Amino acid sequence: MVMVSFVEPGGAEQQIDVPEGWSLMQGAMSNGVEGIEGECGGSCACATCHCYVDDAWLEKLPAAAENELAMLENVVAERRPNSRLACQIKAGAALDGLRVELPEAQS
Amino acid sequence: MFSFDPYSPAVDADPFPFYKTLRDEYPCFWSKEANMWVLSRYADIVTALNDWQTFSSARGNLMTELPNRAGATLGTTDPPRHDRLRGLVQHAFMKRNLESLVEPIRAIAKETAAPLADLRQFDFIEDFSSKFTVRVLFAALGLPLGDEAQVREKAVLMVQSDAATRQKGPEHIAAYNWMQEYAAKVIAERRANPQNDLISHFSMAEIDGDRLDEREVLLTTTTLIMAGIESLGGFMAMFALNMADHADARRQCVANPALLVDAVEESLRFNTSAQRFRRCLTRDHTLHGQTMREGDFVCLAYGSGNRDERQFANPDVYDITRKPKGHLGFGGSVHACLGTTIARISVKAAMEAFHEVVPDYRRVQEQLPWMPSSTFRSPLRLELARI
Repeated sequence: MVMVSFVEPGGAEQQIDVPEGWSLMQGAMSNGVEGIEGECGGSCACATCHCYVDDAWLEKLPAAAENELAMLENVVAERRPNSRLACQIKAGAALDGLRVELPEAQS
Repeated sequence: MFSFDPYSPAVDADPFPFYKTLRDEYPCFWSKEANMWVLSRYADIVTALNDWQTFSSARGNLMTELPNRAGATLGTTDPPRHDRLRGLVQHAFMKRNLESLVEPIRAIAKETAAPLADLRQFDFIEDFSSKFTVRVLFAALGLPLGDEAQVREKAVLMVQSDAATRQKGPEHIAAYNWMQEYAAKVIAERRANPQNDLISHFSMAEIDGDRLDEREVLLTTTTLIMAGIESLGGFMAMFALNMADHADARRQCVANPALLVDAVEESLRFNTSAQRFRRCLTRDHTLHGQTMREGDFVCLAYGSGNRDERQFANPDVYDITRKPKGHLGFGGSVHACLGTTIARISVKAAMEAFHEVVPDYRRVQEQLPWMPSSTFRSPLRLELARI
């Protein structure tokens, strides 16, 4: 299990044990995190699992692939340098303690 | 001795008691009837969906695969080929690009529901949902009108399988071949007279300078037609069945159609039409003390994961206030259903229009005739009567 903190737009923080190999989106959705919609189910097709990755963690993540970068153009909240799609980040031991903030809106 | 046979009419009719035994006692089960492993717990299914390197789709995803289809469609390829193929079609299915279809879909729903005003009793599928889904698909894909009834009949037939032989029967293969010929005609027509629609773009697309091969164009188009008609129609029938059986939920949705959004999600969890898909192992894999071997097929029982009490409290209760995020009604991960948005828009529009014409109703048949299919689950007829 990989501990990931999700910070909802109101500031509430939820720590979730995400099974290794699951995406952050699936970890959040299956634990009722409100700020992620994940409408497409994780196929990188909807941009409703937008998150801001804490700067300290950004460089530990594999870089976003082309399809993720293209889909990030569709997020409705502000896109920032640390914007990522939670369905494209897979939980692994190196990410234990990761903290992501969720935007005001996903759709 | 417990057995799980996805070809059995008993499983078509009610798979849920079998699923419970599978989850509780045999979470990694070898079904000799299906000749594959069965994973039934939510967490195991999600893990397998993510690990496409181990659980490959390249040898087919339907429980009973159609001949010569594996490797040529979105659902039957792995990344990176899959991602490039999907990149060509998915923009057409994104929410922002479907906005222009919302009003036409509503209009189709109203027109299709109107004749029900004169009927006290009717078959929801023949008299409403099949007419609606085929017209929505034709509008979405830009297909020429005229063949709707036949296209629908073949789409429904090609997903079925024969309970006795555990294979596709000649009538199912004939329907599949008919659909391929139909798709080929549409592709040829669009190439000759390109329009600004999905099939025109797709049939002339290139991936990294490589044109798609003809089999990919043909079978992906065939699959889109099959999914658009059969999967959407199958789920609509399941949703109407849930509404008919749960009077409180129905009356709440009729009084406040906005609640249909949550009710659709709960039905996708409670009894998705896409019950079971399959993968093939690319390496040996051990789970719950069982070692599955490279080359073995594995069934991912979405319908069971959606009733897993380890994930959903009181899973056998139909509760439209549940908001079951993360359900497996559309599968998940790289191969999650391409049509999630259009399905959600369509089912809501259809039921809103249906409820305006038929505000209160009940199920007529005590026993439903279930479609013989190892992959999908929906009734072949659903007779409803006004209350």
